[in-house]
Amino acid sequence: MISISPKALATGSDPAFSKKLDLNNLAPEQVALDINKLNLFYGKKQALNNITMSIPKGQVTAFIGPSGCGKSTLLRCINRMNDLVDDCHISGEINLHGNNIYNKHVDVAELRRKVGMVFQRPNPFPKTIYENVVYGLRIMGENNRRRLDEAAEQSLRSAALWNEVKDRLHESALGLSGGQQQRLVIARAIAIQPEVLLLDEPTSALDPISTLVIEELINDLKKQFTVVIVTHNMQQAARVSDQTAFMYMGDLIEYSDTNTLFTTPLKKKTEDYITGRYG
Amino acid sequence: MNKWFKSGAPWIWLSAGGVSISLISVLGLLWLIASRGLSYFWPSELYQFDLLDENGVKSVVIGEIYDREEIPVGQLAHLNLDLDPEQEVLERLLIKTGNRELVSLDFRWLLSHNITNTQKPKDLVVVERRTHGNFYGYIDSMVVDGNEVDSNQLDELLTRVEGFQQQIDELQKSDIGAINYQLERLRLKTRKYQLQDKLTPERQAKIDSEVVNLNQRYAKLEQELMGYREEISRDHIVMRAMDGQLVTINFEYILKVTFNNQLNLLEKLSTFFSQIGGFIIEDPREANTEGGVFPAIFGTVLMVLLMTVIVSPLGVIAAIYLHEYAGKNAFTKLLRISVINLAGVPSIVYGVFGLGFFVYMVGGSLDQLFYSENLPSPTFGTPGVLWSSLTLAILTLPVVIVSTEEGLSRIPLEMRYGSLALGATKAETLWRIILPIASPAIMTGIILAIARAAGEVAPLMLVGVVKMAPNLPLDGNFPFLHLDRKFMHLGFHIYDVGFQSPNVEAARPLVFATALLLVTIIVALNMTAVSIRNRLREKYKMLEH
Repeated sequence: MISISPKALATGSDPAFSKKLDLNNLAPEQVALDINKLNLFYGKKQALNNITMSIPKGQVTAFIGPSGCGKSTLLRCINRMNDLVDDCHISGEINLHGNNIYNKHVDVAELRRKVGMVFQRPNPFPKTIYENVVYGLRIMGENNRRRLDEAAEQSLRSAALWNEVKDRLHESALGLSGGQQQRLVIARAIAIQPEVLLLDEPTSALDPISTLVIEELINDLKKQFTVVIVTHNMQQAARVSDQTAFMYMGDLIEYSDTNTLFTTPLKKKTEDYITGRYG
Repeated sequence: MNKWFKSGAPWIWLSAGGVSISLISVLGLLWLIASRGLSYFWPSELYQFDLLDENGVKSVVIGEIYDREEIPVGQLAHLNLDLDPEQEVLERLLIKTGNRELVSLDFRWLLSHNITNTQKPKDLVVVERRTHGNFYGYIDSMVVDGNEVDSNQLDELLTRVEGFQQQIDELQKSDIGAINYQLERLRLKTRKYQLQDKLTPERQAKIDSEVVNLNQRYAKLEQELMGYREEISRDHIVMRAMDGQLVTINFEYILKVTFNNQLNLLEKLSTFFSQIGGFIIEDPREANTEGGVFPAIFGTVLMVLLMTVIVSPLGVIAAIYLHEYAGKNAFTKLLRISVINLAGVPSIVYGVFGLGFFVYMVGGSLDQLFYSENLPSPTFGTPGVLWSSLTLAILTLPVVIVSTEEGLSRIPLEMRYGSLALGATKAETLWRIILPIASPAIMTGIILAIARAAGEVAPLMLVGVVKMAPNLPLDGNFPFLHLDRKFMHLGFHIYDVGFQSPNVEAARPLVFATALLLVTIIVALNMTAVSIRNRLREKYKMLEH
């Protein structure tokens, strides 16, 4: 159901769009995730209708849409968090490195190490800051103190939190502010070096300044990771993402590079949404 | 008025009243138990009463005032008392007179009407004895090694006897006890070989030589013991009782001689605390009506700890399965309801179950399998501390399961998701995140379990508690912790002293003192658990979302 006209993509003359990708025809090495005819049902209710899209590597892709449109559901499909929901079935495929993650033999824990996720509300564990960051590594069996220390520092630096917490690594993570906690959770997710980082409305529980810090962080993160972000905030999507997908009622309505989608949407529904007529 | 109702003030008063009533009942209970219990240890004054009864007979009574009450004159009409016609009630005193070898009753009632004179002579003493209870009277003379001596040597002589007595106790308890234990084990070993048909002459010879060796050591110890016995029975004291009779008491039987009327406040306080100390660390004497309650304290605490060790993992594991792994269907619901209902089953039913299942079935089978050499006398096929702990563990299991499950269900989903999204499996998430966060709730369950188990007596009477256990379940003989042994328990001790005692009057303060101790121990166990829980709470406290 991808609906991007060649016209919209052929604006190569504009320097701002020079890195623009042809989302329909990505070279295999440019693709991080390939979603193919994905349908999802909660019981008898269909929540995702035949979604097909490719998410490019090393870029920030945003899912936008009104509440209940299925954007978070789609995001949770990518690391199979929906497995935890009772009565949820899925058809279609999501390919990571050409392998369908819904294949029977896939080790879900292994998959989630490659596809990290950050949730809407900061959810640090009631442990120290340090233990929070190295949790994933410990799960993987890493117990070498020096390597853990290095990984913790590196992740915290990547999450732009190191300077604020370096003197209290061994204090409880629950003493941090909401914004710091969210960055800690991001540090925790990137400590295990995932390939893809899923952010599910990461700033919706934060104040504007913390939001700004996280948005800047997202910009840095795409140098290392493929980032997929769900947001209900269109300005945020416009600010941080390279590609934007607009979803509505379980359908992928429009998927193109962010500039195009916000300036010259092809579909009436997209235009109505981004101009604030509903949603 | 209507406005006052609408303001909500009556409800505040009502709820505050509810709190006050609860508080008053708890404090009242503690005050009653504490005052009655602690007065048992206070050295009371000794009185000498001169009496003139209605028949004109004069007599003297010596003792402590135990209680006083007023009775209507009508009840005493048959005594033809010479009374003021206006008088409606008469006071009477309960006097503890002791001296059981002279009068069979420790106590007697005196009408204060009959008392012509009351004194508190300084030289009146109370002698605490190993048998026959207290003796009240005057020291007439003391005989050391056949010669009469001055009574100021009393303290010296008492210290001497105490020293020997300690050595005797040690010999009897540890050395001779150990030899007896080893002899018994050798006997069982022989029997085992016989049963298995493996009793070769070499083995027999080896065992025989060990037995001979032990018997020789026993003989030597016995001789030593006899020596001490002779030493302590060397001296005696002659006491003059209230009716002037002379009674000879051997030092062997004397625990303590106190001039209660000569004590100043400080000495009384020190006696008070040393009596409390003695009550806690000594063994009971004279059918539990005298002495301390140490074995009962030890038994109670050991049994509760064993119970905790058994019930905690069991309850937590069951709760984890119910909450995390079991399918959410009608069967699980039924299971959960059954577990909750189990908490309401009367405890004596658990006692019956424990006796039938643990003692006879499990214990009986264990005996047949592993302790056949001791049959027909049972080892585990008889009530004991292990079976008591297990029975109480079953009894308190629902409490632990319910509160653990509650704790598990209070953990926000985000915590689980956070861990799962980092590539942890469900088991790793449980172990590293969920259980630590749920630990305060688990502790709450354990606290409730301890509170319930420490107060239970009824089931224990069927599965392991006895009035008097000769040995503690923990001692210096391998394997140190003897789970098959019977034990004493404070709750049962209260029942036993209060209802089964030959001397109910004397036992009454002991009942309160023991109850106070039981409450203290349960509170102490609970406080320990509560403080652990608070530390866990502090450590794993979650953000208020």
